[in-house]
Amino acid sequence: MTFTGKALIIDDEPHVRKYIGLVLRAIGATTIIEAPNGAEGFAAYQRERPNLVLLDVNMPVQDGIETLKQILAFDAGASVIMLTSLTTRQTIEEAVKGGALHYIRKDTPREELIVMLKELLAEEPGQTTL
Amino acid sequence: MPPAPVQTDLVDLKGRKLLLVDDDRLNLRILQGILQNEGYVLADADSAESALVKYDEFHPDLVLFDVVLPGINGFDACRELRKRHGAKAAPVIFITAKQESDAVVEGFSAGGVDYVMKPFRRKEVAARIRTHLQMRLLMDQQHTLVEQLSRANADKNKFLGMAAHDLRNPLASIRGLAEFLNDGTVGALTPDQRELVNLIHQASQSMVTLVNDLLDVATIESGELKLQPAPASLADLIEKSVTLNALESARKHTRIVCTERPAAPPITVDAEKIRQVIDNLLSNAVKYSPPASTIRVSLALKDDGTQVISVRDQGPGIPENERDRLFKDFGRLSAVPTGGEKSTGLGLAICRKIVEAHHGAIVAENHPAGGCEFRVLLTSTPS
Repeated sequence: MTFTGKALIIDDEPHVRKYIGLVLRAIGATTIIEAPNGAEGFAAYQRERPNLVLLDVNMPVQDGIETLKQILAFDAGASVIMLTSLTTRQTIEEAVKGGALHYIRKDTPREELIVMLKELLAEEPGQTTL
Repeated sequence: MPPAPVQTDLVDLKGRKLLLVDDDRLNLRILQGILQNEGYVLADADSAESALVKYDEFHPDLVLFDVVLPGINGFDACRELRKRHGAKAAPVIFITAKQESDAVVEGFSAGGVDYVMKPFRRKEVAARIRTHLQMRLLMDQQHTLVEQLSRANADKNKFLGMAAHDLRNPLASIRGLAEFLNDGTVGALTPDQRELVNLIHQASQSMVTLVNDLLDVATIESGELKLQPAPASLADLIEKSVTLNALESARKHTRIVCTERPAAPPITVDAEKIRQVIDNLLSNAVKYSPPASTIRVSLALKDDGTQVISVRDQGPGIPENERDRLFKDFGRLSAVPTGGEKSTGLGLAICRKIVEAHHGAIVAENHPAGGCEFRVLLTSTPS
């Protein structure tokens, strides 16, 4: 099963956006939109209506948890996966409780990341195509 | 030539404070006479009650207590000091008469550190006091030093954790981006370009490993290793770990085989952490075995419910004189990886810390048939 569609990556680090973008292309994403902080990310969400959002937690201007709330308030059906570098489960649990699909650690090796994302998206039949 | 005087002053005792407690003015005067040239600061009291009051004002470094006093006796006063001040109480030396020598035993049990007998022998009294003052001073210094060191160590761990944490994501990106370059996702590479990209990938990979190990050590040492125990199947963890390591072992034509896997009940452990231990043992086994070896992994169930994970390699074994370094930080042994792999020397130290946090045990033994066997013994960890 592969993901086809538009993905939005919100992260303040360009190398993370590039890397995660390539991973998403590898699993089938056709369009990648990038935003460097939560505020620009939410604006991009409203404008582009992506099928999937990869959202960093710690960002300047507006953090990921706040942005998650905004996106879900705007579109309750949004598919958001948190991008995290922290192993503190509190933040992650907060995000998942707040409506994120799941979380992935940014330092996950590429192959593992691809498998994880494929599995995660397979669990969301509305957002994936066969 | 007369023998050189023995150096008794290990530490400078000038200005140390002594509280002398005796109801006999003459005894006090004799003691003051003995001690006047030592450079101490002296105070005295003629009863235990007044001594206890004076103790709090004067903060002596040592107390000389007469045993027989009007009112509270010296032993009870000493007990009271220990009760009030615990281990911080100044050492107490009792003054006893020769005919009271049975009382010496009670004096020690009351918390006294020594005794001097009346009539006083000047040199003996001075020497005993010096000894105990020195001991106390050295103990205090040691205490301060240990405190300073543990603070410095905590700072080091914090710094290490921060540095490792901030290095990890960029390194992971470098590694991942190099992989995308290498596999032609963004265009074909020339052989020279591919070689450079491979080097970038290898270097970033070994840095990721080192940074992760350092971060683990920092986390564990700072006491921030929080286990998340939940029921898990060790057999499943072993299987996942074998799959993960299969790629690396195939490169060396090494086989990893599961020899025994009984139907063991789930065990309450932090699955992610135990998986890390198994991964580490397996990757070590591959790393230190000659190419085309067979690594044997098994799970055993003991009668008392302990589950034992065993990883047996075909490497050179552990030299007897290096055994004590095996599970220590940076405890790299003389064995070198057989396929040019890298070692941080932290892996087994991390394994030990994780297993011990689970109240389990990790042991290593050279197998009679050659190679080394690592065993991890685990029972359910209460959450």
